[in-house]
Amino acid sequence: FVGSLFLCCISAVALKRMLNFNAPPLKNTAAEPVWKVLIYDRFGQDIISPLLSVKELRDMGITLHLLLHSDRDPIPDVPAIYFVMPTEENIDRICQDLRNQLYESYYLNFISAISRSKLEDIASAALAANAVTQVTKVFDQYLNFITLEDDMFILCHQNKELISYHAINRADIQDTDMEAIMDTIVDSLFCFFVTLGAVPIIRCPRGNAAEMVAVKLDKKLRENLRDARNSLFTGDSMTAGQFSFQRPLFVLVDRNVDMATPLHHTWTYQALIHDVLDFHLNRVVMEEGMGAEPSAGARPKKKSRKTYDLTAADKFWQKHKGSPFPEVAESVQEELDTYRAQEDEVKRLKSIMGLEGEDEGAISMLSDNTAKLTSAVSSLPELLEKKRLIDLHTNVATAVLDHIKSRKLDVYFEFEEKLMSKSTLDKSLLDIISDPDAGTPEDKMRLFLIYYITAQQAPSESDLEQYKKALLDAVCDLSPLNYIKQWKAFTKMAATPANYGNSGVKPMGLFSRVMNTGSQFVMEGVKNLVLKQHNLPVTRILDNLMEMKSHPETDDYRYFDPKMLRGSESSIPRNKNPFQEAIVFVVGGGNYIEYQNLVDYTKSKQGKKIVYGCSELFNASQFIKQLSQLGQK
Amino acid sequence: MAVDITLLFKASVKTVKTRNKAIGIGFDSTKDEIFKRSRPKSGFSPRAKEVITNITKLKDFLLQHRKDYVSAGSLISSDLSRMTDNDRDQIDQDAQIFMRTCSEAIKQLRNEAEKQVISAQIKEHRGAVLDLIETYLKGVCKLYSEQRAIRVKRMFEQENQRLISEMNSLVDEVRQIEGKVVEISRLQEIFAEKVLQQEAEIDNIHQLVVGATENVKEGNEDIREAIKNNAGFRVWILFFLVMCSFSLLFLDWYDS
Repeated sequence: FVGSLFLCCISAVALKRMLNFNAPPLKNTAAEPVWKVLIYDRFGQDIISPLLSVKELRDMGITLHLLLHSDRDPIPDVPAIYFVMPTEENIDRICQDLRNQLYESYYLNFISAISRSKLEDIASAALAANAVTQVTKVFDQYLNFITLEDDMFILCHQNKELISYHAINRADIQDTDMEAIMDTIVDSLFCFFVTLGAVPIIRCPRGNAAEMVAVKLDKKLRENLRDARNSLFTGDSMTAGQFSFQRPLFVLVDRNVDMATPLHHTWTYQALIHDVLDFHLNRVVMEEGMGAEPSAGARPKKKSRKTYDLTAADKFWQKHKGSPFPEVAESVQEELDTYRAQEDEVKRLKSIMGLEGEDEGAISMLSDNTAKLTSAVSSLPELLEKKRLIDLHTNVATAVLDHIKSRKLDVYFEFEEKLMSKSTLDKSLLDIISDPDAGTPEDKMRLFLIYYITAQQAPSESDLEQYKKALLDAVCDLSPLNYIKQWKAFTKMAATPANYGNSGVKPMGLFSRVMNTGSQFVMEGVKNLVLKQHNLPVTRILDNLMEMKSHPETDDYRYFDPKMLRGSESSIPRNKNPFQEAIVFVVGGGNYIEYQNLVDYTKSKQGKKIVYGCSELFNASQFIKQLSQLGQK
Repeated sequence: MAVDITLLFKASVKTVKTRNKAIGIGFDSTKDEIFKRSRPKSGFSPRAKEVITNITKLKDFLLQHRKDYVSAGSLISSDLSRMTDNDRDQIDQDAQIFMRTCSEAIKQLRNEAEKQVISAQIKEHRGAVLDLIETYLKGVCKLYSEQRAIRVKRMFEQENQRLISEMNSLVDEVRQIEGKVVEISRLQEIFAEKVLQQEAEIDNIHQLVVGATENVKEGNEDIREAIKNNAGFRVWILFFLVMCSFSLLFLDWYDS
């Protein structure tokens, strides 16, 4: 497999190394345990929790994991590993810890690079506390981004409103604010490339926030490469693994290039979960009647809520997170049946063991079953784990299905797909908006906004009034519309409107009852929709740039190569070959629908690896809130 | 890729020190040292470390002797490192005692930690430390049980072999006996045949003998008769002769 972009592995390896006192972890299975305490701030927590579970932390010898700004008792015979951002408050707290002699030794790891002055603050606190020898190691980890999937990352979760779409696009933004936001984004992207160990070739459109980010990033990379002593991109600091012969392509786009996709209703499993349930950092939180589960990362326990972690180890999730929902429902049923068969097998063996000595026939069966029994016993933990995952997905899928049925999300999805692909509509938009049973007011607003965004011609005044009235009757908030109007006017000036390609949605008819008897998921009345592969705008842009295709949309994009000397900022790319690896980053926020589209695109291309990143991850309701705020100004 | 800035930190420390000296701030380092020392060193950590060292000793011991323990023993018996079964049993026993002691030590530490009045965090920390030690112990026990399983398996295999060879020899013996029995029965058959033949002849002889006896009896009778007759004949001859003589005499007289 060409390429070294296996984000989860790279980030997880970096973290594990850090947790092993910055030495490569040994593979020895029966090694002496060394225990340690992990201290992190909220940023560190968000970075660690998608990659390492509590059990994995325990296995690495972490006995306690605590928040930096919490009451921590002195444990004087234990080394402590800190993983924090180098902010004022964090540094103060670390100095306080040093003064209070909380731990035996201190391994300080800063998520992004710490400044010299702050380092001196710590030095003087250490001197005052006579604890200089206790500060064993100090590291700049350059991990200021959150890896969610092997091919997806976001910049942050805490304080994401500081760099949200709203923050970047609000009308009253000052230059200084914008600078600060850009610096934050660029810092994270810089850390990302340091961790990756590669200097990319940057492409971006002109005239928006993406261009600003690209310019700053190029400058930062350039400065670092020129600094011979401290360069982070020398050969030794490269991560281990297969290298591609080419450098990766880094495509920066602005959210404004495609406003319909974040509002779109979706039909694939992961995107649906993000849309209808509370899903962030690979964790689903659902209201249940049951008690709280212990959650990783010392988060406060929530009453009567269940949290589920959807991780890389969950094979079902990895296989089906991009599948259309009906397929998921079927597969859960299949898994359940397989599990039941295996459970019966184990039960049968158990009963045979019980007959030992009583039945002549059993004794002869015993000899071949002993081997089966050993394998059954050793596979019991696997079986239990499988059951847990099946239960998890049953619960999650049921919750999603409830939302789909009550809000008629399949209808919305189909209609929006037709809008986005400019196919003929079999229902009128007004009917759906006026239908009191179909969806929440937010759903209707989303639908209308997509209609407005994708319409070639703006609707006439009278039509618009009609729609507005219908929306107000349905208790919708119309302020997002104000903003979208502005946006549409602006983009009309700038470029051609985004084309959503020819998608086709073929309804396969209603689910037959035959399939559903005995199934957990009664999907009667829910349409079985099958997606045809189509490319969303971001995917198309990537395709053009990666394959060196000429297209009016992307021909105008700027070209940055930090490795080359100044003066070659022409927009004629030097590299004529298609890229094998690419990273797409959406400034202003992204979502799982875009991600899934990219994943599907990658599957169709052999040997290419594409990573998706965004400054923040929002679902449609969060995005509408931001649009609402913007529209109210 | 992480960057080690420890040296930078140490340089910062030097900078701060020089700066402080210049300003005139010094730190009473000795007082702080005493202050640090006066913190009671909790007995938990050294004890926990001790348990770990013990478990490591056990692990090293097991690994050291593993090759010998597991080896099946070659026929080239000049190998000095070959272990007898007694040695192996000894190792098993020692290892088990050791493991039990370690397990007890862990339990004891746990109970003590429960009873001690300490903060929740330290409790959790100690609990987790003990969990880690237990997992380590379990890993080492697994080593032990693995090699023991191999040995026991080999023992059963050996016994199997022995039983097989015993069965085989029994089978041979039985076959031999079977052969002999067959021969005996064959001989008996011949014998019976002969006896039957002789029966006929004996019957024959019997008949003849019976006949002969009869004849002899008759013969005896006849001889008796004959003797009787003979005797009677003689009497008559005698009478005749006497008569003749008398007749002669008479005749002579007459004439006279």
